[in-house]
Formats: sequence, C-alpha cells, structure tokens
Amino acid sequence: MKQLIRVIIIVVVAAGVLALRLWRRGRRGRPARPAGTARGAALGRLTGYTGLVAAREIRQRIRGRMFRIGTLVILAVVAAVIVIPALNSGKAQTYRVGVVGALSAPLRAAVVAASRSIGTTVRLVPEAGLAAARADLRSGRVSLVILDARAVEVSKPVSATDTSTSGQLVRAVSTTLGVDEAVESARLSAAQAARLASARPLPVTSLQRGSASTSGRNTTTVGLVLVFVMLTQYNAWTLIGVMEEKSSRVVEVLLAAVRPVELLGGKVLGIGLVAFAQAGLVVAFALVLAKAVGSDLLHGTAPVALASTLAWLVLGYAFYCWVYAAAGSMAERQDQVQSLALPLSLPLIFGYVISLTVASSGNPSTFFDVLAYLPLTAPFAMPALVSLGAVTWWEFAASAAISVVCTVGVARLATGIYRRAILRTGRRVRIRELVSGLAR
Amino acid sequence: MGFLGPNGAGKTTTMRAVFGLTDLDAGTVRWNGALVGPAERRRFGYMPEERGLYPGMLVGEQLVYLGRLHGMSATDAAAAARAWMERLGLADTERAKVESLSHGNQQRVQLAAALVHNPELLILDEPLTGLDPAGIDAIAGVLAGQARSGCCVLFSSHQLDLVEDLCDSVTIIDHGRLVVTGKVDDLATSGPRRLVVRVDGDRDAAWARQLTGVSVSDVDRGAVRLVLDEPADSESVLKAAMAAGRVTEFVVERRRLSEVFREAVA
Repeated sequence: MKQLIRVIIIVVVAAGVLALRLWRRGRRGRPARPAGTARGAALGRLTGYTGLVAAREIRQRIRGRMFRIGTLVILAVVAAVIVIPALNSGKAQTYRVGVVGALSAPLRAAVVAASRSIGTTVRLVPEAGLAAARADLRSGRVSLVILDARAVEVSKPVSATDTSTSGQLVRAVSTTLGVDEAVESARLSAAQAARLASARPLPVTSLQRGSASTSGRNTTTVGLVLVFVMLTQYNAWTLIGVMEEKSSRVVEVLLAAVRPVELLGGKVLGIGLVAFAQAGLVVAFALVLAKAVGSDLLHGTAPVALASTLAWLVLGYAFYCWVYAAAGSMAERQDQVQSLALPLSLPLIFGYVISLTVASSGNPSTFFDVLAYLPLTAPFAMPALVSLGAVTWWEFAASAAISVVCTVGVARLATGIYRRAILRTGRRVRIRELVSGLAR
Repeated sequence: MGFLGPNGAGKTTTMRAVFGLTDLDAGTVRWNGALVGPAERRRFGYMPEERGLYPGMLVGEQLVYLGRLHGMSATDAAAAARAWMERLGLADTERAKVESLSHGNQQRVQLAAALVHNPELLILDEPLTGLDPAGIDAIAGVLAGQARSGCCVLFSSHQLDLVEDLCDSVTIIDHGRLVVTGKVDDLATSGPRRLVVRVDGDRDAAWARQLTGVSVSDVDRGAVRLVLDEPADSESVLKAAMAAGRVTEFVVERRRLSEVFREAVA
C-alpha cells in the first residue's frame, strides 16, 4: 500500500511538471488572452490559445464515430479478458480421480493434500474394476486412476516438463504414492511414518522482496497490452491529425493566428486528455468488473502494477506524441505516413515484446533493467519490473525523471521540426533538410 | 489594394511573410509603422491561395473556432460567424461539413473565415479565381464593403480588369521587387498621353505623320493611335486633324491597367 501511494505521488508530480512546462511554453511572448464565456471555455481560460486548440481536438475526437466504437471494442475485450478466466476458474479446479481397489484413509488425505499444494482440488471416485476405470479414463469422466494404491494410469502420456495443472497433479499423486510405498517398505514405526506423512516444505527466503504472484503477472500482461494498444492508437491520432491539418492546408489559416508551438501543444494536450479519459474509463470498468466477478486479477502486487502501468501510459504518451507529431508534419499523404510510422513503431514493438517475455518468465536480465531506464522502452519495461517486485520506488522515480527530462528535449526538437516542416508542401520533407535547418 | 505580378513574382510569398508563414531572408514586416508580431497578426485576416479548412468540421463551428483563435470571446465569435454566414448566403450550411459544400460555397466559407474576427487588414491570395460571375460579384461586393468600412483590403489577382474596377490603388511586383505602386487613377493618367483620332476618308492618316512631338503607334482602318510627347498638346493635334478632313472620332485614351502591368513587368 505504501508503495502504491509513492507511485501515485510520482505520477502526479510528473504530470504536473509536464503540464506546467506546456503551459509556460504556450504563454511565452503572448500578451493577449482570449476571454471565454461559454461552456468548454474553462480549458481555454486556463491555457489560452493552446487550450482552445486542445478543446477543439477533444470535441472532434469524442464526437467521432470511430472513437465511440473503438472504446466499446476495447471495453468488450477487457470484459472478455476478465470474465472468461473467472468463469473457467470455477469449474476447472476439481479433478476426478478414479480409485481401483483399496486406498487407506491417510493416503486419501495425502492425495488430497498433494492436489491442494498445486492449487487444485480432487474428488476421489471409487471404480468397480480396472475395465470400468479405463472406460472412464477414455471417456474423460476421470483424469487419472489409482490402481491398488501402487500405480497411476492416465489416458495420454505426461512428460516431466508438463506444466499444466493436470500434468502437475499426475506427478504429485505419483510422488505421494511412491513416498507411501517407500515408507511402507522401510518398515518404520507408526510414529515415524506419521512424522514423515506430516512433512512440510521448508520456507524459502529470497534476496529480493515481494515475488510476483501469478495473478500479478496476469495483470502485468493485461497492462502491457493496454499500454501498447493505447500508445499505438493515440500516437496514430497525433500523426494523422497533424498530417491532415497539413494536407488540408488548414494549417496556413491556423498559423496565421496562432504560433506553431501553441497549435502543436494544444493538439497533443487535447489528444492526451482524451486518451487518459479513455484509459481511465477502461481501467475503472476493469476494476468494477473484476470485483463483480471475483477475478483474481487484482490480488498480490496487481494494484501497484496497475498504478505504475497508468503512470507509464502518461509518461509514454508524453514522450512519444512529440515524435509522432514531428513525423506527421513531414508527411502529406497517407502512404507517406505509413513509411514514417513503421520505423517509429519499432522501439514500441520491441519494448512491448521483450516486456511480455520477461513478465511471463519472471526473470529480468541486466539488459532488461537498462531498458527500464530508456524513455523509448521504459513505458513497458518499468511496469513489468514493478509487477515482478524487482524495483525500488526510487529506481522507479529515477526512470520517470529520465523520461520527463528526455520528453522536454524531444518536445523542443519536435517543435523545431514541426515549425519548419508543417508549411512545406508538395513533397515529403527530408530529415536531413530539417536537421541542417535546425543547426542554422 | 490590388497586388499584382506575373506568376512566380513572389506575391504568395509576400503574403505568407506577413503572417510569419515563411522565414524572412532580410527586411521587416511593418503595420502602421510598427513591427508585426503575433498580437498584430491576430487582427489580420488571411485567405491563402490553397484553400484550407477542416474538411470534416461543421461550417458554423469552424468559423467560431477561427474567430476565437483570433482572440474573440465565444459569444462574439458565434454572433460574427452567424452574421457572415447570413451575408455570404451560407445560412443554411451552418450544420454542414465543409467537404460536402460546392466549390463556390467552400470559397465563401474561406472568405468568412478570413473575415469573422473583423480584421483591420485583410489579405486574400487570388480570392476571385475559379468562381462563376455571380460568385465574383458577391465576393467583390463584400471586399468593396469591407474597404469602405475602413478595413485595408489587399488581394492578388490576374484578372486585371476586375482589379482596375475594384481597387483604389495597385502594387505590381516582379522577381520579388516592387516595380509600380500607386492609385489606379494616377496610373491610368500617368505616362505619355494617348489620342485616338479618326479623319473621314484618310485611311493612312498621312496628316498625323508630319506633327512634331507626336508619334503614330498604330493605324487601324482609319483610326490612328497617337502617343503625345510632353510638350505637344492635344489641341494642336485636333487642329491638324480638322485641317486634314472631317474628324469623326477624337478620344483621349486612359491607360488600361493591363497596359501598365505589361510595361512594368516587360
């Protein structure tokens, strides 16, 4: 809980710094501010022309049919991700185990205990004989059969590395029976046998604290998918939005009235606000739904992972939106956008895939630790580390700080490129021209 | 004010420079003697050569938005947008998307976008191209009205006859340099005076060739076109013509703007 509060504080501070930065950029050198009176003008009053641009962006986005349908689709996917495992977890937990011949009461208890230790339950079903038991195995009415407490039979072979619950169950039952046989053949006293039967695994301590639960990992995976889908979508909005203003030439009319930094800042601010409203809606929906169906998605480290995921959605958008806006200002047609968008999306895809791998293996490498500090990949790598419990709060803060500083740098560079590229029409602007233009 | 020049002379570049849309290599942009900055530009209106509006945005909202970007309050912008839509015959398109309008109506919306904040300087890049005669009359009427109400209207055009009718003064540039500027009336009466004289029965205008200080520029089926040097006066020409025969035509010709233009950029 303490960690959660820290994370939230960091997010608020980072967002505040960024907003202040944008606001000051928007205000610099601007003597007059428009006076707003009607609804929707609160934002306009707050940030001047940047706010006006942002307000238009928000209105247009929310009104769009694509946006509404897209939000519904995301909500539907999230609902499926939460509800389907919850429904499955109810029925898939109990395995039926056929018993041929006698099975002593202590051994029955040992089998039940073994199944519980791997997170499932069993029901022992007495079988009339071997033939009946095999028939039940074939039809799937039972998952395995214990023959006279001395052998286990299954329908399909189980390999030693099978990590499915049924595979683990088969191995656990066979081990339990094997131990029982060994105890019996060693001719121990009743007391010795009882002590062996009550053997418990020793506690395991770890050097790093807070190991991730399975549910935490699931949440991480969901969070990573969320960040990836949303970053991709919002960046595409920025890219295409800037490109459309250029190709429709409306940018000439706009820039006759406002400065490029106000137009660009308003655009990314507006899209950003819509984005976080959408992300907030999705997360709130997910939380309510998870609570309602009793999903285990939010146990363990999951709340912290979720909070850090949201924080990095903000930071990741703040960083990437400038890059995509600059790219959009260089393109004028849809096909040019595609050739620009692909190289830009590579670091996103790389960070996403490698973070998914690490989140499922639970074993981050040093290389991955480095990625968590690079603004390009941190939006994925850092939440993954947080959910694995592999970072301290100050490491998180350091990575966030690096990202904010880099965002300011990228914003400056992007504004420079945008200012030069947005009014050049006729062909795609080459990066070399812009760089040499910036150097001048 | 008409802003003229051959293609590639730098008209559009000059207009863009006023709005800071192109970097200046040298020089300054001044308005009423003061350097032009963002605050001044907000009081200017601009209609670019390549028309540009948000294609998917409603006409009314678009005009209000542009008005607000020029510093108007929401209520003022809404009122001004409605007034201009009314005036330009766009009242029933308020809830239409720009992309659904005809070319002529898009042009009107573009003009309304430049006018909505009641600018003190209105700069229009070829506002009359691609319009039918009714559209030209409508827009020309609005421009004249704005100019009468004290707004400085500057527009470029290749339709020199229209410019001559509409404008008080013109500026002609060529290769990025100013070549002629002045009142249309002054330009029309400037330069050597011209006379067109027709004398009955004298198809070759032999009488005119003996006059001093007068050169014959053209003889067209008995009508002789004369260019008078500074000291020569039209009265002596008339006397010489009357001596040669019956004078059926005697016209002091104003210079057309197209002639001024051709001479200036030749």
